[in-house]
Amino acid sequence: MMMRSTMRRALAPLALMLLAACGDGVGKAGEAAAPSNRTIAATLKDDRSFAMLERVLDNAALGDVLAGKGPYTVFAPSDAAFAAAAGDLGDEAMKAQGAAMLRAHIVPGALTRADIVAAIERNGSGAAEMRTMANSLLTFTKEGDAVIVSGDNGARARLTAAETVASNGVVQPVDALLVRTTAAPAAD
Amino acid sequence: MYKLAPITTALVLALAAPTVVLADPGNGKGGDDRQERGNRGGDDDRGGGQGRGAGRDDDRRADRAGGRTETRIVEAVRGRSSERGDDARRSGDRRPDAPRDVRRALERQVLQTRDGRPVVYFNRDDDRGLIAGCPPGLAKKDNGCLPPGQARRIAAAAAGADRYESLWRRTGDESRYRYEDGYLYRMNPQGSLLGYLPVLGGALSPGAAWPSQYAYQPAPDYYSSYFGLPQNQDYRYADGALYGVDPKTQMISQVAALLTGQNLSVGQPLPEGYDIYNVPTAYRERYADSADALYRYNDGYVYQADPRTQLVTAVIQLLT
Repeated sequence: MMMRSTMRRALAPLALMLLAACGDGVGKAGEAAAPSNRTIAATLKDDRSFAMLERVLDNAALGDVLAGKGPYTVFAPSDAAFAAAAGDLGDEAMKAQGAAMLRAHIVPGALTRADIVAAIERNGSGAAEMRTMANSLLTFTKEGDAVIVSGDNGARARLTAAETVASNGVVQPVDALLVRTTAAPAAD
Repeated sequence: MYKLAPITTALVLALAAPTVVLADPGNGKGGDDRQERGNRGGDDDRGGGQGRGAGRDDDRRADRAGGRTETRIVEAVRGRSSERGDDARRSGDRRPDAPRDVRRALERQVLQTRDGRPVVYFNRDDDRGLIAGCPPGLAKKDNGCLPPGQARRIAAAAAGADRYESLWRRTGDESRYRYEDGYLYRMNPQGSLLGYLPVLGGALSPGAAWPSQYAYQPAPDYYSSYFGLPQNQDYRYADGALYGVDPKTQMISQVAALLTGQNLSVGQPLPEGYDIYNVPTAYRERYADSADALYRYNDGYVYQADPRTQLVTAVIQLLT
């Protein structure tokens, strides 16, 4: 009897992990889907919808960072999001701008969607904030079932598609950039 | 027989999550090695020999001995260090002709573990390490050291803003910014140059020499241990990034990590921007939020905070 009890306690963590892996990735705060054995860098590289992000990452020489230990959470704009607001950031001459843009899309630690939703609901204000690697703040709110993320200067995006829990953090797809760029200056 | 439980649990966790790092059960939540609160008195980093000296190298070797996995809870608290001077001397990159006004003292927090080991983390400069004066290689002209074409660009700025200027500007910052050839130039609203700084992706890129006038903070060994970085490089922190630098050539070899540089000190409130649970997957079992404690990850450490007061109560190292 004692042995059964001991084994039940020993296997409990495994059972929890298996349950988390079977879920839809939006569970209680603190829970995380079973991590992939691929890094964030590999995850982005394999996903064709992040081709532009991948190019900006390479340009800025940040590939080592997202292939390293981390952990980081990357709010990953789709190619369409880049095309709409900053289509030239993949250019060779835009390395520094690309690096600055990326830093505003990366936060420390592993941030699952369940963690984000739980924090929004826990805070009386209905919003939760995270500090980025650009030393700016991202504000998370809910609109119906959607999670909205806003940047310091009024940029606004929606968390889309499914998150990927990588070996060194999380990739959270977004449908827009988290820094609002101004219109290009008029030609003289 | 009860002793089988933790052993079996550890085995199960290790098998279920091969990337998981197991912490020392004796030091974590619920363990018997809780952090002692209070200020033991800060150690001056310079005086305490906590640079990249032999002592710290010994620490790192000890940490890695036998592949031992360890989590250490760090107790209070802080000292301040004029870091730039130490490291510049050690790295041999202090040049006698360098202007004095750019040798600003940078501060960093120095914590201690119970056994006296240093734990250092970085502070982020409000001005990002802005350098006063003329950029290297820029001919001094009668235009206030403006780079070639800059005066013309500033004049043009009145007609339309740089499309990406918002990438450099902070909330409430009225300065104007221009990026040119690896450097960011900061100007007042009237267009006078206030200073410049090298930036990630520009002058701070792999293959480039570290700008001799740019202040940095040397990374303590904890960071190279935590991030698993090669030991044959120097690591320098500047403006939110950790760079690998070849100690012989002073060339930047890699961008090793991004860091917030946020100051989370024991006894102080969690700063703005840490609302969401973000503990690394490998440590979630051990450091789960509860009614008694919050846990937040930042720059290689997990911070424990009181849910009621939001005060940071412990800093936890995550070494593998």
